[in-house]
Amino acid sequence: MTTNKIEIKDLTVNYVDNKRSFNALHDVSFGVGRGEFVSVIGASGCGKSTLLSVLEGLYAPAGGSVQIDGKELHGTGSERGVVFQHYSLFPWMTTKKNIEFGIKQTRHGLKRSERAKIADEFLTKVGLADSGSKYPSQLSGGMQQRAAIARALAMDTEILLMDEPFSAIDPKNRVILQELLLSLWEGDGSEERKTVVFVTHDIDEAILLSDKIVVLTAHPGTVNEVVNVPFERPRSRADLVGTEEYGRFRNKLLSLLNTDIAERIGGDEVVL
Amino acid sequence: MTFKKRYLRITHLLFIVLLLIQLLPDKSTKEVFTGSLIAFAVGVEVLVLAVSSFIKKEEGIKLLVDIAGFIFVLLGVWSLATAKFNILNDLLFPAPGKVVHQFVEDKEQIFINIESSLGTTIKGFLIAVVLAVPLGLFIGWSARIGSAATYITKFFSSIPPRVYIPYGIALLPTFKSVSVFVIFLATFWPVFAGTMSGVLGVDKKIIDSAKVLNVSKPEMLFRVILPASLQQIFLGCNQGLSVSFILLTSAEMIGARDGMGYYVKYYSDFGDYTRTITGLLVIGFVVIAVTFLFNKLQSHLLRWKR
Repeated sequence: MTTNKIEIKDLTVNYVDNKRSFNALHDVSFGVGRGEFVSVIGASGCGKSTLLSVLEGLYAPAGGSVQIDGKELHGTGSERGVVFQHYSLFPWMTTKKNIEFGIKQTRHGLKRSERAKIADEFLTKVGLADSGSKYPSQLSGGMQQRAAIARALAMDTEILLMDEPFSAIDPKNRVILQELLLSLWEGDGSEERKTVVFVTHDIDEAILLSDKIVVLTAHPGTVNEVVNVPFERPRSRADLVGTEEYGRFRNKLLSLLNTDIAERIGGDEVVL
Repeated sequence: MTFKKRYLRITHLLFIVLLLIQLLPDKSTKEVFTGSLIAFAVGVEVLVLAVSSFIKKEEGIKLLVDIAGFIFVLLGVWSLATAKFNILNDLLFPAPGKVVHQFVEDKEQIFINIESSLGTTIKGFLIAVVLAVPLGLFIGWSARIGSAATYITKFFSSIPPRVYIPYGIALLPTFKSVSVFVIFLATFWPVFAGTMSGVLGVDKKIIDSAKVLNVSKPEMLFRVILPASLQQIFLGCNQGLSVSFILLTSAEMIGARDGMGYYVKYYSDFGDYTRTITGLLVIGFVVIAVTFLFNKLQSHLLRWKR
């Protein structure tokens, strides 16, 4: 029996491209505890998004296992909510309708008016109280991601999977969105925190948000190291960034991220 | 918007010029119904003034006013060439007032014919859309037969629907049902093909986004795939609609007992070119009106697109 919410064991994923199969993830193993915020970081092409699409249930692995609450994962499931980098929302539904549609998928037996009430509540939480009747195309990228987060939270799933949700957002708004996600996820302690797997290539984002960071190396994607983030919660960017501990921890992560590159430069393989 | 932008337009000058032209003596030997023409022009002018006083968008006013301007110029040149200077053969080219007069005289008969033509078109068109869209969604979504279906559709939609008319006449009891049948065929294939290509072209990210929400199969088809393919579906509908009008009016000229095509054909056979031209203009107006309403529906349903 495992105590982890999500248990990934010896996960291997192959991609077929131009009739040539290549190994995207190789023997990846780590666990995500209940209520834990885990980030997966790594350079482009290390398979971090592939890993998340396996957790989403969109891609079947070639080997190994993924278990949620001790049960083998098969396909998509209503205990997992997802925020993508793009197109989480349906462009033909208003922001509010998108959220109501999401709620309908996971919280059965609610009346239409109850769904509308929850949608309004979460729109307010992400600062979009006035944008409920707007279509996604009328919102900026940052506002779209706010709405996507509102939907994922309103769906009230036990697990949240986030695939580079802030990568396409300009730096200023990215910081604002990170703080928003942090405060919504940390909450006021009255509710149990959600289990989050968060994929990013931004080290500072990973440190700010996570309890644990999984560093992947590429070709094929393997776990280089799993690092616990030593900073107290509730956190804030202002308190963290600039401190000596933060700098040291960040450097440690950077060198972990770059080990494979260092090895490659020293080795025979050609890095493209 | 300023008063100047709203009301001071060259169109109103054209209206006055048109009225002044009517003061010239008539040269035509036939009756020209100048009064009917003036009444029509005044009607258009009043409509333009009324609409421009409460419409909000400046482009809307500009469009309407410009169209009215074209109408005034056309009527002016037309009455100069016919009633006023009698340059054209007055049997083949009736004066504009005469056409207006004829329309008013025949209005009941014309409305019955419009009703018949529109009824036939709408029936054939709607049956086609109601069958083609769900079928296109199901077949396009089941990828295995989707690509085979694309080729079969290409084959059937390459047959010009007109050539079904003789077979339809042999197959079906009434001329009406033949018209509905042919319009059905003319609409079904483009809408079906449009729906399928829409389904096949839906962004994979949209489909993934729906999959991770664990939507049911009907929800996937009708709340995700359908709206995502809507633009392509409308492309097919537009194609079907424009072919339908061509088909219907030409079919009505072959063997129908009513409809606008019948009206035009019937009176041109008698050499009544006033009614022929009246019929032509009415057909043009009806087609424009239907297309306009259909485009309004389309932009309403696709309002979420940027």
